[in-house]
Amino acid sequence: MTRHTAPRTVLLAAGELLAWWAGLAMLWLVLITTVDTLERIVGASCAAVGALLARAGRRAVTWR
Amino acid sequence: MNGWILAATVELAGGGAAALWGVTTGPTGRRVIAQNLATSALCPALLLLSQGYGRPSYVDLALLLALLGPVGTLVFARLLAAELERERPSAWALTWAAAGLGAVVVAAVCAATAPGRATVKLLVVGALLIGGNVIASRALSGGFQGVRGG
Repeated sequence: MTRHTAPRTVLLAAGELLAWWAGLAMLWLVLITTVDTLERIVGASCAAVGALLARAGRRAVTWR
Repeated sequence: MNGWILAATVELAGGGAAALWGVTTGPTGRRVIAQNLATSALCPALLLLSQGYGRPSYVDLALLLALLGPVGTLVFARLLAAELERERPSAWALTWAAAGLGAVVVAAVCAATAPGRATVKLLVVGALLIGGNVIASRALSGGFQGVRGG
């Protein structure tokens, strides 16, 4: 069985994930001591995981 | 001893002693409020000490305290919900005075450091400190009625 999600929903979800990722990556870059390539890669990865968790958390507490 | 360390000492002696006194005496509601305001007293002192000693790593301690202090208060608000239900403790004058103190200290340290990522970090600490304490105070005074046990 295949389920089709509306393109609008996909776009909204991608936009939210991107917003969370950008915010978290900026926070990472601000809080570290020295900015180099390794830190950028690790920060972008952690921000990606954080964005998924943040969206899941936001959806869990939005009941209104 | 420079001006920063002197300010931190005065702030720690005044705010820290007041918070300790509040935590150890009086009814539960007063104690919970005092432990919440202890964060507001200690975090700016750490920022002042980091500037006074020239050790930026102290800012990390302030960041951690600003993040975990209000979370701890929310845990207290949840665990003592039945007791706080009767008292509804609130001290808005003290809360906003503490927020003002945090804002003044963050602004002073920001003005003293070279503009850059360090300034943004200090602003993040300030926002966490002030926002966290206002939210935690509101939770203690029963401001979040929709939240179970909040």
